[in-house]
Order: sequence, then structure tokens, then C-alpha cells
Amino acid sequence: MTTPRKHRVTEALWGYAFIAPTALGLGLFYLWPVLQTAYFSFTEWGAFGGHTFSGLDNYERLVHDPEMGRALVNTFAYTLLGLLSIPLAIVFAALLNRKMRGVSVYRTFFFLPVVTMPVAVAMVWRWLYNGDYGLINYGLSLVGVDGPNWVADPDTALYALVVIGVWSSVGYNLIIFLAGMQAIPADYYEAAALDGAGAFRQFFRITLPLLSPTAFFVSVVSVIGSLQLFDLVYVISGSGAAARANPAFPRLQTVVQLFYDRAFVTNDRGYGAAIVMALLLIIVVLTAIQFRLQKRWVHYA
Amino acid sequence: MPDKGRRIGLHAVLIVASVLMVTPFVWQIVTSLKTLSSATSVPPTLLPEGHWANYGRVFDLLPFGTQFLNTLITALARTVGQVFLCSMAAYAFARLRFPGRNFLFGLFLSVLMVPPQLFIIPQYEIMSDLGWLNSLPALIVPGLFSAFGVFLLRQFFLGLPVELEEAARIDGANPWRIYWSIVLPLARPGMVALAVLVLLWSWNDLFWPLVVNTDPDKMTLAAGLASLQGQYQTDYPVLMAGSLLASVPVIAVFVFLQRQFIQGIAQTGIKG
Amino acid sequence: MRATRRIATALLGAAALMLSACSSDDGSGSDDQVTLSYAVWDQTQKAAMDQLAADFTKGHPTITVDVQLTPWEGYWTKLKAAATGGDAPDVFWMNGPNFQLYASNGVISPNPEQVDTSVYPEALVDLYTFDGKMYGLPKDMDTVGVWYNKTLFDAKKVPYPKDGWTWADFQDAAAKLTDPAKGVYGTAASLSSFQEYQYNTIAQAGGYVISPDGKSSGYADPKTIAGLKFWTDLIQKKHSPDLKTMTDTIPLQLFEAGKLGMYWGGSWDVLEFTGNDYTKDKVDVAPLPKGEKQATIIHGVANVVGAKGEHKDQAWEFVKYLGSQPAAQILGKTGPIPAYTGTQTDWVGAHPELKLQTFLDAVNYAVPFPVSKNTAAWNEAELSHLTKAWSGEQPIEQAATELATDMNALLAKE
Repeated sequence: MTTPRKHRVTEALWGYAFIAPTALGLGLFYLWPVLQTAYFSFTEWGAFGGHTFSGLDNYERLVHDPEMGRALVNTFAYTLLGLLSIPLAIVFAALLNRKMRGVSVYRTFFFLPVVTMPVAVAMVWRWLYNGDYGLINYGLSLVGVDGPNWVADPDTALYALVVIGVWSSVGYNLIIFLAGMQAIPADYYEAAALDGAGAFRQFFRITLPLLSPTAFFVSVVSVIGSLQLFDLVYVISGSGAAARANPAFPRLQTVVQLFYDRAFVTNDRGYGAAIVMALLLIIVVLTAIQFRLQKRWVHYA
Repeated sequence: MPDKGRRIGLHAVLIVASVLMVTPFVWQIVTSLKTLSSATSVPPTLLPEGHWANYGRVFDLLPFGTQFLNTLITALARTVGQVFLCSMAAYAFARLRFPGRNFLFGLFLSVLMVPPQLFIIPQYEIMSDLGWLNSLPALIVPGLFSAFGVFLLRQFFLGLPVELEEAARIDGANPWRIYWSIVLPLARPGMVALAVLVLLWSWNDLFWPLVVNTDPDKMTLAAGLASLQGQYQTDYPVLMAGSLLASVPVIAVFVFLQRQFIQGIAQTGIKG
Repeated sequence: MRATRRIATALLGAAALMLSACSSDDGSGSDDQVTLSYAVWDQTQKAAMDQLAADFTKGHPTITVDVQLTPWEGYWTKLKAAATGGDAPDVFWMNGPNFQLYASNGVISPNPEQVDTSVYPEALVDLYTFDGKMYGLPKDMDTVGVWYNKTLFDAKKVPYPKDGWTWADFQDAAAKLTDPAKGVYGTAASLSSFQEYQYNTIAQAGGYVISPDGKSSGYADPKTIAGLKFWTDLIQKKHSPDLKTMTDTIPLQLFEAGKLGMYWGGSWDVLEFTGNDYTKDKVDVAPLPKGEKQATIIHGVANVVGAKGEHKDQAWEFVKYLGSQPAAQILGKTGPIPAYTGTQTDWVGAHPELKLQTFLDAVNYAVPFPVSKNTAAWNEAELSHLTKAWSGEQPIEQAATELATDMNALLAKE
């Protein structure tokens, strides 16, 4: 009959009731599937369902699969080059971080690609990149350059992909950096100005160091996102057997695309599961490395 | 005077960048109004031609209206459901005390660390067991739950003042009343931020819809558009018309809700 | 693991019942009324299929047929998922590359009785025979021809292709039609449809893709390689766009934009080219040119019965009706070429401006579509290897030999 105790019990019951729907849903659709995927990665699937335990077979295949090797190389290269979006976003955020006419218009332009459906973005760029009739090569022809078939040429395909990635993410990063810059107290700049520091010095001495935690955060998120690249490649190169008729396919294939092909085109779910387990491992390791490295360059105020 | 020069230089840089950002969209519109022959003429004609038939083709080739509705219903249901369910859980984690709270919250957060591809095969199997493949529930139900949403809103709730809630509690209001009539109204900005992100992500998502719904009448626009390319591989004018139609709704919403979008992203920094 | 998933499934199932407006009729219904599900993939044939279903019900009042359309892109994924769950449609369309996979896994039923198959092209009867048993009945057929752009021929004063023309004639025409200044090529050596390209020239050169017992690859055979070289030579001479260009803009669209003189395409392209604004008054069709011999790939869709259906007797009745002469005549008015011999005149007559008889004459020298139990696996290998030869990265001999090695390994696994 002690009221505090009864009160505590009721509060706990309310607490469970509040989290119950989400807990159930997350458990069923997210947590449990992770365990299942881990289990599936040790199984082999028949063409029409049913799976049998196959030990480490899938992982052994993974290590020897040349397509997985290429997918990893491409994914890493895309991820690394995609980080270019960060310095670009910082520069443009700095340019836009002032009271000036047109700022909101510029910001809107930068932001348009961010809200556009990636499938649509990829289609538009595939057309821009067309070797014979694309706008980009037309532009180049005006200055006497004979441009390549950007997304069908093994030498350029990956870079072409990076350009789309940067183009569509720079606006998003810019917004975060703008918010970060606006959180920097104005008196820092005033003090620096009194000491005679110009705009450039202020940017390098104040803005950049104070922005480094934001930059760290953005780089972690963008690495994780890039490692999961799928939509762009799915549209640019297709999937399944047909995609392999593109001579640049070996330079376009990514880990998640290979996962899609194996898990849902050839119905090799067990192997697909092994591919994403490898992806999980890669993400964990790369994120851990980034956290390690942050000590060297991130300044927490 | 140097100040003015710098200002002009600044605008010049920004204008060049803006042109780079906008040109693809302009070219998309221009091409969508050409015939295939004129789109493949060298040198290209730079002005649109008023060949509206490409838009008609999109409607012939795809059940566009149905797919639009599917996408809208899915996006709305996921947004409303997720914001509601996440806010409930977030409120409990932020304000109520119960045994195992930290452990459960940690468990929720662990979902956030896992790349979503790890969920997909089992989720697909569940949908298949339920007979939900090729149905709207398949698109909606897994998206009602989100660890990210719980995390985001919990942070937001922690930043709200507790005085009103304390007063209501002393007056004998139960947690549901407090949550519903005091916390939710205060938390509107946080919920709008989440809603805007869920809406965007759900509209544009490709992988899951592509996998679960292969029936064109049950597809979302992203998957439908991808299938249009499957059939009409490089008929660019038709593809440009289709991609424009599919992406314009979200772009329009963005123009209206620009402030909320930007706040949402600035606050969270995490996509979807 | 199983148990938990079952509980989870049960929980969700309960939710599903509440959510979904229960629309499933169990098929058996009352008064022995039976509804068959019939899965098809071609939008343009949907109306004809509905008409056939209605016509069948007239003769069999207790059986109705529900035609379910799933476009090609999703058809096999959906069918596979349904078959995995044990509820494949009662009757559905089957194609060559997938047939043995479905037959060997017991997803489709062999025919319960012997029927007269002499009314169908022999190659199609063979295609749908597995382990000595025939599964289903052929519905339609298609062969391949050379579609050509008369305007481009006229512009270069090249005579139109004639029956009995040879590889040399074709190469000659391709050379004359090529006009780099206008971005026009004689033809396109596509790598995206072996049925319309490589398989034909391989047969014409006297080579083969897969041995008759389905156990070994023919890609290392010098004659097979000659059939492939036919195409890579055209690319090298720039009478065909290179593979990069054909990736950016596929040959079909190049042809429809007036950039290709000749386009190898199936009989199904009639609909495409008569419907397209550019091609509708500019193209005609000729037989494939002769190499060492004359040859075209023949393929056709069959109607098959799902092995786990509840109404297999009725389903077989429906398949028999679909394979009959009256059904073929209905199909031939609107759809592809019916497989039933002697019912094809309507199809040919539908477009008198085109020499469609070409596709029927081709049946006489047609060779079957190469398949095995897991065709998809080596279809992927074909592309992975031949892409290297098409892009000029490897000589065709090397790419084909390596492909043969890979393909043999895959066949051994079947």
C-alpha cells in the first residue's frame, strides 16, 4: 500500500506501454533480422526456397569472388573521393554565411539536388553523360575536346559517379555547416578583427577549427552513406546479367549492388547475406578508424 | 570600393555554382519536350520544342496515377505512424523511469548502427510468409518503426522544460495525458523535423520497394521509374519526362517547407 | 529460430487479417465452380488473353480464368517468389531459358496425356521437353530478321536486302551505309540480346552454344568463334558503333533515331516499329544473311501448368484449349505469331506493307534456343566474358575460350 512504490510500478508499466509498439516493431523487423541475416550467411538457398547449412562456404566464395573484389575497390574509391563534398560544402557555406541579398535563393539551388529522387537524378546525369548526344560532351566539343562515353568507359565511369554523388550531397552538407557556423559566437570574429585578422585568416583560425567537430560528424555519416551506394548505380548501369554488357560495369559495381544481384536477382540469399555481413564489418572498422583519427584534427572547444 | 569588388566576385562564384546545380534540371525539362530524333541530333538544339507526347507516353507505359497514390499513401502513412510511435517511445525514454530503460535504449540505438541492407532478406521473408508481397502494407509496415526517430525525439524532449509536466503530474494527470496534451504540443518543431525527413526518404527510397513490390500497380514512383528505364532503356526524352513527373512533387513540397527541411537537417544531420 | 519466426509471423498474420480487406476466394467456391489464375507478362497481349479466357469459359461453363498481368521486368521475380511459397499460378507463360529450371525443380507439371505435337514447330516441342516429358504446349513463336531503314538505303543508293543474301552482302551493305559525318552506322553489333544476334551467327557459322546433351559449352569451337567474330569485325571496321556507344544509347533507339541502317530484331518488333513515329513508314524486313548455312533462332512462349495447383485437371484443359487451332486464330489477329501451324495468315496480313512472311519462312531453317537447367548462370558468364572482346580488351578467341571454361564449370554444377 505504500504509495511511492505503487507509483513506481505504475510509472514503469506506463513506460513499457509507451515503448511497446516500437520495441515490438524494431525487434521483429530490425533486431531479429540482423541475427537471421547472420545465420543465413552460413546457408545455401535453393532456386525455389529452402536453405541448408553450408558452414563457411559463402565466406570462402566471397574471398575468391572477383566481382566482390572489384565491388570493394569501387566502393572504397567512391567513398574516398566522395569526401570532396565536405571541403566544397564548407567553402560555399562560408560564402553564404553572411547577410547578403540572394542568400536564400542560392541556398535553394544548392539544395534542389538533395530533395530530388536519386533515381531521377541518375537518369538525368546518364543523359548528360551520353557520349554522342550528351550536353557535357557538346560543351566540351565547343572548346575542341572530344569527350568520352563517361559512364560506359572504364576509365571515367567511377569519376562520373563521384561527380553525381558530390553534386547531390554538397547542398545537404552545406546546410549542416551553415548551422555549425551560425553557432560560432560572433565575438570571436570581433576579437580577431580587432587584432587585424582579415577574412581569410578568420576563416582558417576560427571557422575551420570550430567547425571541425561538425566536419567529423559529416564525414562519418557520409562515409557510411557512400559505402551503401546503390540507387545511382542501379540506374546508371542496371543490374543482373544485362548490366554486364556495359564495358564499364567492372568499374561501376558496388557492394550493395552486388548484394541486390545475388540476393534478389539470382536468388542466392545465403551469399547475399554473407556480402552484407562483410559490409557491416567494413562499416564498423572504418567508423572505428575515423573515431581514432579524430584526435588528430578535431578541436572540441 | 574593394568591398564592392569583392561582393561582385562573391556573387560571380555563387552564380557559377548555382548554374552548375540547376543546369541538369533545365536540360531535363528541355529534353523532355523533344522527340528522340531531335534529342539525338548533333549539335543539340538548346531550346525546348513542345513535344508533349513524351509525358503522355509515361502515362501509357506506367500506371502513373496509381503509383503516385501508392507513393503518397506510403509516405504519409509512414510519416504519421513513425512520428507518432517514435514520439511515444521517445517520451518514455526521456521522462519515465522503468527497469531496463538504459538497456532497451541501447538496444534501440544498436539498430541505428547497422546498415539497413542487413534487415532486408529477413524482412522480405516475413512479407512473403504473410502474403504481403505486392501490397501497400509491405511498403508501410516496416517503415513505421525507427530507432533514429526515437533517438532524435528523445534528444528533443530532453531539451524541453519539465515544469509544466510536473505541475500536471501533481494535478493527477497520467503519463498519457501529459504526453498527449503537454509534451506533444511543445515538441512540434522536433516532430515536424522528423516528419519532413521521413517523408523525403520514403518518397525517394528505391531498394525496399524494388524488392517487395514487383507488380506495377503496387510500385512506388521510384521503382516504377526504374522499371521504365528497364523497358525503354535509353529513350531519353521519355525518361526525362518520367523522372521529372516523379520528382516534382517532393521538390514542390520542399519549396513550401524549405525552412522546416533545413531545420530538420541542421538539427539532426542524418539522412533518413 | 524457426519457432520464433513462426510466432512473429502469426502475430503479424493476425494484424494482416485486420488490415487487409479479405478478398481471397479460395478458388473452389460453391457448385464446383473453379477459377484458374493465369499469369502473363505482355501488356499488348492482355486483351487477347482476356478474350481467350472468355472463349474458354463458353465451352467450360464451370471454369473461369483470371488473367494476371505482370510486366516482364518483374514477372520472373514474382513467379519465383510465388513458386517458393507454394502458390504459383494455375497456368502461366514459360520461356526457354527458364523452362528447365522450373521443370527440374518440380514447379511445373508434365502433361498428363499425349497430344498431337506435330502441329507445332519441332524446335519448340523440343524446347519444352525435359527428361523425355513434355511440359505444357507452345503458344506463340518468334524468329529473327534484319530490319532495315529504307530511307538510309535510298540515300546511299544501296539495293535493299534480298532473300538468300550472304554474310558478305550484309558486310558490304553495312560498309556502304556507314556515314561517320552523319553519325550513321551500317548496323549495330549489340551485346544485349544473344537471341537476336550472337546465337544466330553462331548457328550460321556452323558452331553451337551448348552440346545437344546440355553438358558442355560450344564457345571454344572455332566455328562458334567465327560466328562471334562476325560481330567484333563489324565493330573494328567501325561499321557498328562501339560497345560504349551502344551502352549510352541502345541499338533500338539508334535505329529509331535514324542512326542505323540495319537492325537485327525479332518478329515481336513489328509492334514497336509500326507504332514508332519515325520508323513506321521507313522500315522493312529481310531474312538473316547466310553464313556457312542459313539459320535463325526460334523461340516461343509455352503455357504450362503449376505443379502445386488445386485444379490441375482444369488447368490442363485450359492449356489444351490455348494450344488449339481456334485459340491460335484469336491470338494471331492481335498478338505474336501463333505456334499452331497454318494459323499465321492473319498475323502476316496485319501489315501488308512489311514482308512479314520472312519470319514464317525462317521456321524452315530455324535452330532451337540454347538452354540448360540453369541457363541464367551461364548467360551471365557470356556477358562477363564477351564484353571484354566487344570492347576490344581481349581478342575474341581468348574471351570465348575463357567463357567456355567458365560455362563448362557451371554446367558441371547443374
